[in-house]
Amino acid sequence: MSKDMYTTALKNTLTEIKKICPDINYSFIFTKDGAIIAGDGEADDTLMKKAVHSFQSLAEKAVAIGGLDALSINGEKGKLHISRINDMYLVVTTSPNADTTYLHSVTNVIVPTVLKLLENIAPTPLKSMPMPSQQLVVDTITGFFAGDNVQIDDTHLKEWSQQLDGKDVNEVEIETIGGKKTRCGVKKISDPKQQGKGLVLMPEKTCRALEAKKGELVKVKPIES
Amino acid sequence: MPAKNKLEEKIENLHASLESIKARDEIIGYILRDPKSASVDIKDPSKIIDYAVLSSTVLDSGEYMTSTFELGKVNHIVIEGGDVKVLSLTTGDHRISVFMSKNVDHDAICKSLRLK
Repeated sequence: MSKDMYTTALKNTLTEIKKICPDINYSFIFTKDGAIIAGDGEADDTLMKKAVHSFQSLAEKAVAIGGLDALSINGEKGKLHISRINDMYLVVTTSPNADTTYLHSVTNVIVPTVLKLLENIAPTPLKSMPMPSQQLVVDTITGFFAGDNVQIDDTHLKEWSQQLDGKDVNEVEIETIGGKKTRCGVKKISDPKQQGKGLVLMPEKTCRALEAKKGELVKVKPIES
Repeated sequence: MPAKNKLEEKIENLHASLESIKARDEIIGYILRDPKSASVDIKDPSKIIDYAVLSSTVLDSGEYMTSTFELGKVNHIVIEGGDVKVLSLTTGDHRISVFMSKNVDHDAICKSLRLK
């Protein structure tokens, strides 16, 4: 089954659910790694992406309570409910007086059934492996030949390459604890004295852009080329 | 000043409610913050930082999503993890998060915090 057909099947499911639960304003499904799979056509892309981004940053912090299975927001003008179904999340927003017990009994039966059916018909093409990442300690590269690239241990580059089906890793995303992110080229650490220490060597201008100081922990993630 | 007394009384009631809620076995703890101070009472002290960060993120994400989907003022937010549930709400300039086992009726807790 193609990805388009899979998406269409889920989109139709959401549309049918809306017909039996008219209190639903928006509904859409996204994967654990943030890819929006299907929507009922009411919510535009920007709206969905904003919600997914916010949910994912919350999910990162929710490791403290064993992950994030569900989120409910009760607002004066409406409700939002996000629930986990296998490796996906279903988002539903409703009017304030919606019968959420009825709604959950419908969505929690229909959506998992359709997903299971689709899985049985054909293995899902939608699940993508989460991008690996590594926490590394910042150190700076100085001097005339510092260049624009950051440097990390070759072992990480090789490991990521293996996880990405042999693709070379030439670019990474660096995220600080404060949430600042940047993309830059990456090379293996050339100075043998700096190897194997869990460092990311960054040119001073990259450090400045990220407001990252020497000794700080940052998250480094490969970008698929 | 009567207005100030009323506010102080409300805050005292809130603290008393949280203390009585926390006394229950299935309640893991709570975090109460206002612009100037915070009261943190979590049964497992090793989790205080993680829970404080989570509490703040829940309320921020909740407000962000509420404004994205135009859901109006937030009454309360509930998140469920693998083993813990968190109820977060704002009353006046106080932000409250109560951490509990998943089997707890959070609606009842929400009601008791709102009524005071």
